[in-house]
Parts: sequence; C-alpha cells; structure tokens
Amino acid sequence: MTDSRRVALLRQIDHSELSTSATYGDVRRACLEALHYGFGAVVVHPIHCARAAHHLRGTGTSVAAVVGFPTGAFTIEGKAFEARNAIEQGAAEIDYVINVGALRGGLRDLVLEEMRTLRDVARGHIVKAILETSVLTDEEKRLACELAVDAGLDYVETSTGFASGGATVEDVRFLHEIVGDAVEVKASGAIPDVQTALAMIGAGASRFGTNAGVQIAQALASMSDDLGREEAG
Amino acid sequence: MNRTGLAARIKTGILGVNITEQDVRSHIAAAKTYPFLAYAVDLSYLQLAKQLLRETDMLLTAAVSYPFGGMTSATKLDQIRFALSVEAEEINATLNLNAIKSGDYDTVSSELRAMVEVADGAIDVIVIPQFEILTSSEKLKTCETLLEAGVCAIKTDGHGGLCQPEDVRLVRRVFGDAFSIEASGGIRTVAQALELLDAGANFIHTSTALELLRDA
Repeated sequence: MTDSRRVALLRQIDHSELSTSATYGDVRRACLEALHYGFGAVVVHPIHCARAAHHLRGTGTSVAAVVGFPTGAFTIEGKAFEARNAIEQGAAEIDYVINVGALRGGLRDLVLEEMRTLRDVARGHIVKAILETSVLTDEEKRLACELAVDAGLDYVETSTGFASGGATVEDVRFLHEIVGDAVEVKASGAIPDVQTALAMIGAGASRFGTNAGVQIAQALASMSDDLGREEAG
Repeated sequence: MNRTGLAARIKTGILGVNITEQDVRSHIAAAKTYPFLAYAVDLSYLQLAKQLLRETDMLLTAAVSYPFGGMTSATKLDQIRFALSVEAEEINATLNLNAIKSGDYDTVSSELRAMVEVADGAIDVIVIPQFEILTSSEKLKTCETLLEAGVCAIKTDGHGGLCQPEDVRLVRRVFGDAFSIEASGGIRTVAQALELLDAGANFIHTSTALELLRDA
C-alpha cells in the first residue's frame, strides 16, 4: 500500500467517542489521536462540540456532532434546534438519526421533510443521515436513500453502533447502488479492524465511523506494499 | 401484593429506535387495561400519546436527552419546553453523564437548576443518573448535587442498565426519604419488582410491564 493511499484512507476515518462513561480527558485524547493519525473527523455528543472544536481548531480534522442520537425519535423541530446548537458550538458535520419509526410506519413525507430541514439548518456543513440499516427492510433502505438524494444530503450512514447490528458489506453496497454518485455512503458500527474497513471502502463507502481508529491506523502502517497491490488487483 | 396493587406502583412506556405509530397505539391500548401510574414515550410520539392517554389516569412522561444524556443543556431545555407545550406531566431526563465521570459537578448542577427553572413546577423533573456506570462515590455526589439543585426524583437507569437493589438501598440509607426513587433498567419479573420495592423503591419503571404482570 502506498503512503498516499494510507493517508487517504486515514482521512476517511470518523473517529468516534460516544461512550456514556467518557470523560473530558477521553474526548481530548480522541482529538489528539485524530490529529496524530490524520483522521477526517472526530464524532462526539453535542455536549463535547465546543471542547472538541477547541482541540481541533485550525486543523484539517472536523468536529462531527451526533443529533437525535441514538433513537432518532425526536421531533423535526427538536433535531433542527440541536443541529443549529451543535454548529454554533463548532460542529462542521451533523450525523443525525432519521425518524426510523416514521420510515417503518410509512410516513415518507415526514422523513423527507426532516431531511430537508436538516439540510437547510446545516447549509454549508456536511449532513449525514443515519438510517440504522439493521432494523430496516431493503425497501425501507431504498426509500430512505431516494429521499436523501432528493433532499440533497451529503451522506447516508448505516448505523449508530447502538442498535441490533452495525454496517455490513451488503448494506453498504446496496445503499451505494441506490444513491449512486449523488450522495456518499458512510459505514459505521461494527468496524473493529482494518480488514473490515477496507471491505467497506471496497463496497462503496467513502467514510467509515469507528472507535477502533487507532488500531486501524497502526495496522495500516504495518501493511506491506504487496497487500496494496493485491487489493488493487 | 396482587396484580392491581403491583400495577399501581408501575410506570411503563415504549421507547427506542424501532417503534412505529401503530406500535404506540396498540401498546397504549393494552396498557390501559391496568392502572399503571405513568406512560413514557420518546418526543416524536409525545403528542400522539397525549391524545391516546386522555380518559385515563396515566401520567404522560416525556423522555428528554434519552437515553445517553449527551445533548447540551440548551437542547434539554428546548425539549422540556416542548414537553410543557404538549402538557406532559413528567420528564425523564438523562443527566450529563460525561460531566459526572469527569468530576464536573458544577456543570451538572447548573444544568439541573436551569431545568427546574424551565419546568417551573408545571412538570415533574425526574432525572436518570445511570447508576450502572457510576462508582459509589459518584452516585452519592450526584444525589447531593440533585438535592442542592432542588431535584428530588430519580429513575435509576435508562437504556441498557440493570437496576440493582443495592443502589436503591444506598440512596435510602444515605438520604432517607429525600428522594422519590423509580427503579428502572432490566426489570422483567415480579420477583425483581418486589425485591426493588422492598429495597425502598417508590415505583418500578419497565417497558415490559404487561408481560411482567401476565406472569404475576
């Protein structure tokens, strides 16, 4: 694997620190790790946006805030308020959980209105819609993706990491096929190692969310050029 | 304690990512057959639940910053204002757990005071300290912080926690009757419920109340 390929892969990591037991020190450590390895973003709860923004100011690493997390079972106005508040405190990216219950209950218009609202509130920022694919049928995944394209979101994202399952290669490929080039795919949840991360990228993900970013970065550093060629082949 | 007597000590509800409007309708219809004290929903279903709970004695409980407590104070207050506008009777708000784990009780305290101020006596403020992840000293310091801020109702654990009778006994032993204690988290059997009530809990909070009473 070439150095430039490694650097590009590290930029695709969204480094998550979302534990209920995390301390301010843990958030600071996550930010310093992201800077050290060149991760694209650090994903935090909104209570940490200002703190993370302080650590990451003036660097190439963004603060991503989770919104409506992890149930998505909040009002549209509530999520809009939360997103606006997170941006004011330094978030450059919003990873929000869609109203999964509404999608599953056939309330298509509500899901679309929510996407448009978040797009509008976070104009000039990156908006990722977390679908929680592990609880959706293929038809529900397809609909959510079509709505995300319609609303002009930046990413559809597979999972919160707190539901019954995380990203799968099949889901990433499926989402990618539907959104095409209009919207990017972020794989998240259940990405514990570099092999899984590479499989997600191979399936069409352009970002992946994980709390194993450091282990993945270290594994990447020790990968031989042979593996890179195999991968290219 | 008979089934009706136990139901009168139970708060229930339906919370989580995977819940449709139809799920809320059928669960509330079933819950109406028991004299439960209160019914909790996520904010997206608060207005619907308000309508469905009319003509019942069940209080409506709004889940605030649920279940992780990672939302800012501003967002929590926004959610409480929404709960007030819908005329919910209670909130279950998860505390800023990361502030507790960081020893930053000033932040916990100022958030609590702001919540009490916004609630203004019109809605009961019940907070979730998530005892499962706290050390004994964090539990006690958190409870002290609550009392100082004028909050005297706790729901022991939110999502994922398993309520321990020892936690209920600890709060009772140290703080006497200062707190209303709702035991919550992984309560699936009558035996568990009775043990927690015996340990000093005022109420049991479980989403599986119907299943639990079926076995009573």
